[in-house]
Amino acid sequence: MDSLGAQGMSAFQNPKTEVMRQIQQEAAMQNARMLVEKLNEHCFDRCVPKPGASLSKGEETCFTACMDKYMQAWNTVSKQYVARIQQESQKPGMGNTF
Amino acid sequence: MDLGAGQQIGANLDLSKLSDRDRQELQQFVMNETQKARIQSSIHSLTDTCFRKCIPAGGVKKGALDKYEEPCMRNCVDRFLDANLVVLRELERMRQ
Repeated sequence: MDSLGAQGMSAFQNPKTEVMRQIQQEAAMQNARMLVEKLNEHCFDRCVPKPGASLSKGEETCFTACMDKYMQAWNTVSKQYVARIQQESQKPGMGNTF
Repeated sequence: MDLGAGQQIGANLDLSKLSDRDRQELQQFVMNETQKARIQSSIHSLTDTCFRKCIPAGGVKKGALDKYEEPCMRNCVDRFLDANLVVLRELERMRQ
C-alpha cells in the first residue's frame, strides 16, 4: 500500500491516472470480498453441518478442499461465460443481451 | 464509490483542471470498468447457482472438479444463459 505522501504526490502529478488506479483497486477489492463471502457461505454450509465447540481438523481439511473446488468452479464459469458473451456479441442484433 | 472507511474515489484530487481529452478518457474508463464489474458479478452469481446444482452433497471433500462436475458447470452456465434468452424473448413477445 502506498503511503499517503506518495499517493498525494502521484495525484499531484496526474489526477487522471490516480483516479483510474483507485477505481481498479476498488474493483479488485470488491471482487475479492465477494469471493471470500461465497467461499465461506458454501464451504461452511457443506463442511460444518453441526458446529461444535471448535473447528475440527476434519472440518478444516474439508474447508481447504472445498475452497480449491469452488475456485476451480469459479474459473470454469468465468471462461465459459466470457466465451459465451463473445460468441453472442458476434450475432447480429443481440449485442448486449447479457 | 465508497472505499470502505468513508474514503471516496477521487477525494483529495482536483479533477476540475482535467483537460477535455482526459475527461473523456476517464469517462470511457469508468464505463469499461462498470461493464467489467457487471460481468464479474454475474460470474459470482453463476458460480453460486451452478455449484449448488453440480456438486453433490459431500462432494467438496475432494479438491478438484471431477469429470462429471466440470462439464456440468459448463453446461449450467450455457443453459442458464439460454433460459435467460427465453425469458427475454417471451417478455418481448408479450409486449407486442
